[in-house]
Amino acid sequence: MPTIQARGLTKRFGADVLAVDHLDFDAIPGGVTGFLGPNGAGKTTTLRMLLGLVTPTSGSVVIDGHRYRHLPHPTMRVGAVLEASGFHPARTARNHLKLIATTAGIPFSRVEECLDLVGLSESGNRRVGGFSMGMRQRLELARALLGKPDILVLDEPANGLDPQGIAWLRDFLRFYASEKAAEPEGGRIVIVSSHLLSEAQLIVDDVIVLTAGRLAAQGRLADLLVGTKRAVRVRTPDAERLVQALQAASLPAAVRDGCVVCEGVAPETVGPIMVENRIEVHEMVSSTESLESLFFSLTGGEGMQVGHAAGPVGDYRRFNDAPKDSPTPPPSAGAIGGQ
Amino acid sequence: MTRLLRAEVRKLWTIWSTYVIFGIVVFIDVAFGFLVAFAPGGRHGGRAGIVPHGSSQWFTNVFSVLDNSRLLALVLGAIIITGEYRHKTVTPTFLAEPRRGRVVIAKLGTSFGAGVVLGALTMLTGLVIGLVLVGLGAHSCLAPAGVTQGMSQALCSAKHGLYYLASSHSMWHDWSRIAPGVVLGTGLFAIYGLGLGALLKNQIVAIVVGLIFTLVVESIVAAVWPTIGEYLPGAAATALEDAARTSFGGGNTPLLPWWGGAIMLLIYGVALAVVGTLTTLRSDIT
Repeated sequence: MPTIQARGLTKRFGADVLAVDHLDFDAIPGGVTGFLGPNGAGKTTTLRMLLGLVTPTSGSVVIDGHRYRHLPHPTMRVGAVLEASGFHPARTARNHLKLIATTAGIPFSRVEECLDLVGLSESGNRRVGGFSMGMRQRLELARALLGKPDILVLDEPANGLDPQGIAWLRDFLRFYASEKAAEPEGGRIVIVSSHLLSEAQLIVDDVIVLTAGRLAAQGRLADLLVGTKRAVRVRTPDAERLVQALQAASLPAAVRDGCVVCEGVAPETVGPIMVENRIEVHEMVSSTESLESLFFSLTGGEGMQVGHAAGPVGDYRRFNDAPKDSPTPPPSAGAIGGQ
Repeated sequence: MTRLLRAEVRKLWTIWSTYVIFGIVVFIDVAFGFLVAFAPGGRHGGRAGIVPHGSSQWFTNVFSVLDNSRLLALVLGAIIITGEYRHKTVTPTFLAEPRRGRVVIAKLGTSFGAGVVLGALTMLTGLVIGLVLVGLGAHSCLAPAGVTQGMSQALCSAKHGLYYLASSHSMWHDWSRIAPGVVLGTGLFAIYGLGLGALLKNQIVAIVVGLIFTLVVESIVAAVWPTIGEYLPGAAATALEDAARTSFGGGNTPLLPWWGGAIMLLIYGVALAVVGTLTTLRSDIT
């Protein structure tokens, strides 16, 4: 059974940047683990430390109890899809994979299998220099799968993929993670870092959330979502009156983006109040627990402001005002994160 | 280690830069070989001296062009390692073999092999140039058009034959004296280039530093402190060539014995690679 364990993992770049700060986590087999956090939270650095590409300042992260570089056959144990991993532009995709296969002692027949799996058989003899982002990403995945590893680490794998490619990847990862689950010593670990929360929510079973290099939360997504707040959003011409009525019932209510938002309540609570006050309703949305709202509540929604401040830049929301990793969150998410 | 070596060799022949370097070497050999052969005065012919065509000195001068291929070997060696950083292929390489020292050892072996092949290619090109020169020289001996008398024709044929014998003998003699040194020297120079690349990591910087050091700094040092100069990489490579001792400016500058030159070059390459492995190559791949 594959295991990944980080204990006191710390990485400092220079004197100023503490990228990862005493991080402890365990990745468990049997599902897809989402590795989430805002930009600069230390996701990539952590994954690169896991793969022996970056040396930790202190602490350790081990695979099956060993550091990556001490694994007997690293390629056959761990497959990694990384950003900024390179290809020689003049080398063909097939030759690129054959190089890695040669290094790892993997037969060339496996190269063909992997090219076929990611749909690059036809383009295998083309130079990688002419590949699109999506094709490069699929080639990276093919390389990661060469050794049939039981641990798969993917850093932003959806980057550059078209919607079709993303859907394919999602199915593939779900299948890959569950494939060996039934075997007695089986089970696979699939870690996916992502900033696309809605996408991640579709595939992850477990999450590890980082903020500023520290662990913000870890566990099964379903368990973590139970604790998140829900909100009700109502579009009505009588916004003022509804707010007053809700506040009279001592419920928190506010007008945001032309809608009345009421946090921490179920629609069953808001509905009767509207009927009682004979308020005309055009739309009523109950935002359920989402990974996004969980994420914002965990990461503190740094610098988040909801609503438009017509300042010197006009009516636009400036980058620094927008929630990290989510340029246009639904008002409910913002409302929860803002607390 | 065999796997790593095979992968490194495959890396070389799956990109076109390798062939470009080999092509440049052949081009330089051919272009400058003929240039020197027909330049008035010859390359090392001295002030007024016009070296007689077909003489041993003539072929020595022509073949002296060939040892420049070591500069391209240096470039090739540097590319073998810095190319990984330039194209970020270092990430998949170190994922597949996380013990970075082993990767460097495989690259040392590969660059030596590639350098030796480059040297062999150079000497082969040199041989072709030499044969062409012998042939051209013999041809130019033939009677000019219009002379048809039997007597002069016989004389011409005899002269032709003598020229051919004499010049092909000098050619073979000079070629075989220079060949082992050039082949070994290019091989070791590729290791030297790899060492520079391992230490400096940046492709352009490694190549520029290597070339400037060899072409400029070394000559200055050799002129000012000849005793130090003979231990520098370029001079050490020259020392490998037996012919260097008796010709093309040999005697002006002191040279190590051929084995001393080989050892010095190997030390430069390996020492730089070891220092590079312990410092630059241990750094984080981000």
